[in-house]
Amino acid sequence: MFVILLSGIVFYTKPVLAEMTPKEILEKSDEARGSVKGIEWEIKLKSIENGRKQSRTLKIKARDFNSLAEFLSPPKIKGRKLLMIDRNMWFIKPGLRKPVPISPRQKLMGGASNGDIASTNYAGDYHATLVSKDTVNGELCYLLDLTAINKKVTYDRIKYWVSKKRLIGVKAEFFTVSGKMFKSATFEYGNSIPIEGKPKPFVSKMIITDVVIKENVTTMTYSKIRLKKIPDSTFNLNLLMR
Amino acid sequence: MKKNLLPLIIFILLACFLWKTTSSKATELSKMEETESSELLEELKEGFEYSVRFQTSGTYQDVADTSQNPNNAFFRIPRYLTKLELRPDARLNFRRLELSIKPRMNLDWKAWEDGTRKGDDEFDNDLFINEWLARIRVAEDLFVSYGRENLQWGPSYLFSPSNPFFRDNGRSNPKREVPGMDFARLVWLPGTSWTVSLIANLDKGRQEYQYYEFDKTYALKLDYAGQEEYAGLILSHQESDRSRLGVFGGWTATDALLLYGEGVVSKGSNALYPKEAAGNPFSASMEATDDDDSSLKGIILAGGSYTLEMGATLTVEYVYNGQGYSDTQADAYYRLRQKASDAYALTGSIRSLSRLTLSRTADPKLRFLRRNYVMLQYNHNDIRDVLNLTFRWTQNIDDDSGQFISIVECFVGDHTQLFLVGSVNSGGRDTEFKTPLGCQCMIGLEYTF
Repeated sequence: MFVILLSGIVFYTKPVLAEMTPKEILEKSDEARGSVKGIEWEIKLKSIENGRKQSRTLKIKARDFNSLAEFLSPPKIKGRKLLMIDRNMWFIKPGLRKPVPISPRQKLMGGASNGDIASTNYAGDYHATLVSKDTVNGELCYLLDLTAINKKVTYDRIKYWVSKKRLIGVKAEFFTVSGKMFKSATFEYGNSIPIEGKPKPFVSKMIITDVVIKENVTTMTYSKIRLKKIPDSTFNLNLLMR
Repeated sequence: MKKNLLPLIIFILLACFLWKTTSSKATELSKMEETESSELLEELKEGFEYSVRFQTSGTYQDVADTSQNPNNAFFRIPRYLTKLELRPDARLNFRRLELSIKPRMNLDWKAWEDGTRKGDDEFDNDLFINEWLARIRVAEDLFVSYGRENLQWGPSYLFSPSNPFFRDNGRSNPKREVPGMDFARLVWLPGTSWTVSLIANLDKGRQEYQYYEFDKTYALKLDYAGQEEYAGLILSHQESDRSRLGVFGGWTATDALLLYGEGVVSKGSNALYPKEAAGNPFSASMEATDDDDSSLKGIILAGGSYTLEMGATLTVEYVYNGQGYSDTQADAYYRLRQKASDAYALTGSIRSLSRLTLSRTADPKLRFLRRNYVMLQYNHNDIRDVLNLTFRWTQNIDDDSGQFISIVECFVGDHTQLFLVGSVNSGGRDTEFKTPLGCQCMIGLEYTF
């Protein structure tokens, strides 16, 4: 009787453990690309756009939908700041005390959207559907179709490949409202952060490629990652040191 | 050379003290304490930031022929200016304490080619603190600060009517720093979206008040930042004047479109208006005729900006200046100005009256003289990663004068920027934008270390 009962439990629980919901898959993969509780990191951004090379180093403090990006180099743009409070964005230039409100469309960093520099919360921002399973570089992946829950997010629709074994996003394709793919990205996970006391892989590189002009490539390298509580005052224009 | 270097000295002493404390501890304390000390040192290093900019510029100014500045004797505007400026900025963020300082070292040369000082030239040097700040985080959501600041807010480009402290928002020439004033501030964050600030403007700081005395101003400011909108409400009171209610707000309507507005309203106005005066040799004088008026006087600014796919942003702003002069008042204003101008070369009491009248017509306590204005702006930054362009046209709809401003910044390498800030003013002899300059051109170089 006991054996029957036990096998019944095994029979019942096994599929639950094996088949995660798309939202659970996203939540796990988000852990490796930021934290909604608060994160601080440095991004070295190198882009090639129409043959022109651009290089930036930024220090990012991010929490939920808010982020503060401070430009560290090159010297000509050192001290510039980009504050994002949900969809509201302000650009602050050294020497010009008045923050300039800017639209999300105003790009400041090559092929990377302003939203790319902040932490990732796909599980909260997108409705996910499991389309199929696919392989990326020989690795079996869940292929998820993500559609934006609201218009606060950077992309309207994303096709997202999440490694089945490692539960980390390895590839993404980004689409416009009209359904046209305009850029793709691949991710590397050379960093490690402690989650519940255990080291977990964390994003170290994101390579964004323009779909139309393949030579337009933006590489973001992540370092000095710290999970920490970012207070409200960090994202407050009244308190921003300029 | 200014001697008010107290904030700089305090900043350096405090930095040295913190440095000394940590380094001396490192040698004296036990290994564990050494570790703590090195952590402290690391924390200090991490919290310290600085930048140094060097700027040199040459400016050409074409003095306009206007009744406000007869023979350039009233403003005495130099034709040529050259400037060398060293602009170091330092910040220290250490636990509950934040310190910042912006000392400035300037070397100026001016030369006159018009009016009473024709043929003169002058050298000047200046060392001063344009801004400094000491702020303490009393609690997670409560901050207290005192310092010399350039407090700016609001979304508009043309000017910021909701700001009771600063007339100049620094956007007409970003290469010229707005002089700071002394503020005490208490900032409370009752929630993620809300901010309450108590602001006291206690000293004029680096601002110059040529024609009037400085008055302390106090303000209560409430800020809200939502998902795609933000707003601010400012209730202010200026000593020996009146209370004002300012407001601003903005909305990120779409990915590319921003809509915004700003305004201020007060009972009556301290602005000066031309008033007939029978005993006055000019038959009129500039008086605060609406000082005791109980009706509401306001300024409204509405604007929007749209970012094109190619990256350029187009901005349009409209201003209704309810305190501005009507056609009749403007005619009386220019008539009075002309009479004062005609008497400027005379001697005796009439000359004194002429000076007084021109000082009042020069600054009638109005940011804009007339009632209706439109501004159009084209801005495109980081073109090929080296070029920033801003072209701005401001039209005074009432007197048909206008001002064209161009700001061109070109990066050469990672440290150097060449810039050109030019303005061309159009209109008749006695119109708002044609006073006091016909055109101005500033070219220069900025090097960031």
